Amino acid sequence: MTCENKKRQLPLVFIGAAILAVFLVVAVFSPFLVPHDPFVRVGRPFMPPGEGHLLGTNDIGQDILSELIYGSRLSLGLAVLVALISTGIGTLLGLAAGFLGRPIENVIMRSADFILVLPFLPLVILLAAMLGQGFFQLVLVISVISWPGTTRIIRAQVLKIREKGYILNLQAIGAGPWYLLRRHILREVLPLVTYRAMLTASYAVLIEVALSFLGLGNPLMKSWGSMLYYAQARNATLTNSWLWWVIPPGLCIALLSAGFLLTGLYLETYANPRAARGQADA
Amino acid sequence: MQVNQTRRGKAAQYLLLIWLVATVNFALPRMLPGSPLVYLAGEELGQLSAAERQELLARYNLDRPLPVQYVYYLRDLVTLQWGESFLKNEPIRNILWRRIPWTLLLAFSSIIFSAVIGAVLGVRAAMNRGKWSDIRALLTISLLGSFPSFWLGMVLIAVFAVKLNWFPMYGAYTVGASFTGFAKLADILLHMALPLITLTFLSVGRYFLVMRYSLIEVMGEDFVILAKAKGLSEWVIKYKYIMRNALLPFVTVLMLDLGFILSGATVVETVFAYPGLGRLMYEAVVARDYPLLQYSVLVVAIIVILFNYLADQLYVYIDPRVGEQG
Repeated sequence: MTCENKKRQLPLVFIGAAILAVFLVVAVFSPFLVPHDPFVRVGRPFMPPGEGHLLGTNDIGQDILSELIYGSRLSLGLAVLVALISTGIGTLLGLAAGFLGRPIENVIMRSADFILVLPFLPLVILLAAMLGQGFFQLVLVISVISWPGTTRIIRAQVLKIREKGYILNLQAIGAGPWYLLRRHILREVLPLVTYRAMLTASYAVLIEVALSFLGLGNPLMKSWGSMLYYAQARNATLTNSWLWWVIPPGLCIALLSAGFLLTGLYLETYANPRAARGQADA
Repeated sequence: MQVNQTRRGKAAQYLLLIWLVATVNFALPRMLPGSPLVYLAGEELGQLSAAERQELLARYNLDRPLPVQYVYYLRDLVTLQWGESFLKNEPIRNILWRRIPWTLLLAFSSIIFSAVIGAVLGVRAAMNRGKWSDIRALLTISLLGSFPSFWLGMVLIAVFAVKLNWFPMYGAYTVGASFTGFAKLADILLHMALPLITLTFLSVGRYFLVMRYSLIEVMGEDFVILAKAKGLSEWVIKYKYIMRNALLPFVTVLMLDLGFILSGATVVETVFAYPGLGRLMYEAVVARDYPLLQYSVLVVAIIVILFNYLADQLYVYIDPRVGEQG
C-alpha cells in the first residue's frame, strides 16, 4: 500500500527535480546559452518578438531572452544559500527551544517573535542602508529574517514528540536529553527539516524577486525581479508588451519556486514513516 | 488562579516586545552613518540655511545627549506626537490613521478567504492522500502559490482591467466621485477585488499544505487507530479526533500569517496603488522620508504583536496541553 502511494507521488519528484536540473544547467552555462550580451544594447528599445530577438527587447534595447537566462544565476544561487543558512539556524534554535527548557526557550522564542513582527521589507531597507545592496548582503538579510518560521515549527514538533509515550517511557528509565535528541528527536524532525529547507528555498526565490521589484536588489546583476521592475515602471501592462516582457520572468520564477516545493514534498513523504502509516490507513 | 497569573505574564511579555520594537526603532536611524538631518529632511537638506538646520535639530531635541533624546522619544511616542512628514506636509499620525483601515480590510479579507479555501482543499487532499486527485491538487496549488504576488497583480491588471475593463486599475475607491450607501460599497468592493485575489493566491497554498501535512501526521497517530479499533463512527474520528489535533499547526501558521500578509501587502498595494500602509512604506522609501517609514513600520509591528497576543490566548483553548505547560 505504502509503496504503491510512493510510486504515485514519483511523477511529482521527477517534475520537481527535472525543473531544478534544467535551471541548474541554464545557470551554470548561461554565458554560452545567451544569444546576446544581456548587459549591452543590441537593438531598438521596445522591440516585439521577432528575428534575432525571440522575446523582443526591453526599454533600453537589451535582449529580454538573454536577461532571462542570466537571471537564473542570481535566483538559484541565492535560494540554495538562503535555504542552507536559514534552515540551519532555524533547526538548531528550534531543537534548543523545544528541549533545553524554560529560560533558553523563552529567549529563543521571544527573539523569533521579535523578528517575525518586523515586516521583512522595511527591515531589509534599513539593513541595506548599512550593508549595501550586494548579493551576499541580500542572502544574509533574507536568512536572518526567515529562520524564525522554521524554529517555531520545529519547536512545536519537538514539544509534540516529547509528549509521545515512548519518549516519556525512555525518560522514565533514565534516558538523558542528549541521547533522546540524538537518537530519536532528530530522526523524527528530519523530514520536517528537509521539507523546510526546500520550502525556504522556494520562498527565498520569491522574496528576492519582490525586493528587486521594489528597486532594492543589486542593480548591477540581472534578476527576474528587476526585469519586472522596469516592465512595471514603463507601464508594460498597458500595451501588449506584457506578453513577452512580464509573462516569461513570472513563469521562470514560478517554475523554480515550484521545483523546490515539489522536491520538498516528496522528501517529506519519503522520509516520514509515521506519515506513511497514516496514508496506508486512509 | 494559576491560569490568570500565566495570562498576565503573557501580556507583560507582549508589552515588552512592543517596547523592544520601539527601542530598535529609536536606535536604528542613530546607528546609520551621516547627519541626523539627512534622516529628517531628506533631499531638501541642501536648501536649508545654517540657522534653519539648528532650528530643526532643536525642534526634534537632536542637539541633546542620547538618553535625553530617548526619554523625549518615548514621551512623544506615547502621546502620539509623531511629528510631520516632509513628503506629505502633514502630521504622520494623521496619514497613518487614514491608511490603517484599508490595509486591515485587505489583509483580513484575504486571510479569511485563503484560510477557508486552503483548509477545505487541504482536508480533501489529505483524505485522498496518494490518489490522483490529491496529487493534482498538490500540483495545482504549489504552482499557483509559486507565482510572485506582484506579477500576478500585473497580469490581472493587464487582462481584467486593461483588456476586459471589468475592474478599475488603481486605488481603493473612485477619486472625486461622491457615492453613498450601496454605490459606495460597490465601488470599494470593485476596487478591492483584484488586490484581494492577488493576496489570496499568495497565501492559500500555505494553508493548504499545512492542513494537509498535519492531517496526515495526526492520521498516523496511535489514538486514531485505537478510535478505529473501538468502532467509533467515521464522523467522530474525522472531526473530534483528527481535525481538532490537526488544527494546532494550522493556528500557528495563522498566527504567523498577519505579518506575512502585511509584508505581501507592501508589494501588492504598490502594484495596485492601493492607499494602505504598504503603499505608504514604499512611497516613504522612494522619497527617503525615514520618519514616515519608521512610524509606519512601528504601527505595523504593533498591530501584528496585538494579534499575536490574541492568537496566543486562543491557542490555550484549542490545545489544553499548552495551557498546562505555559
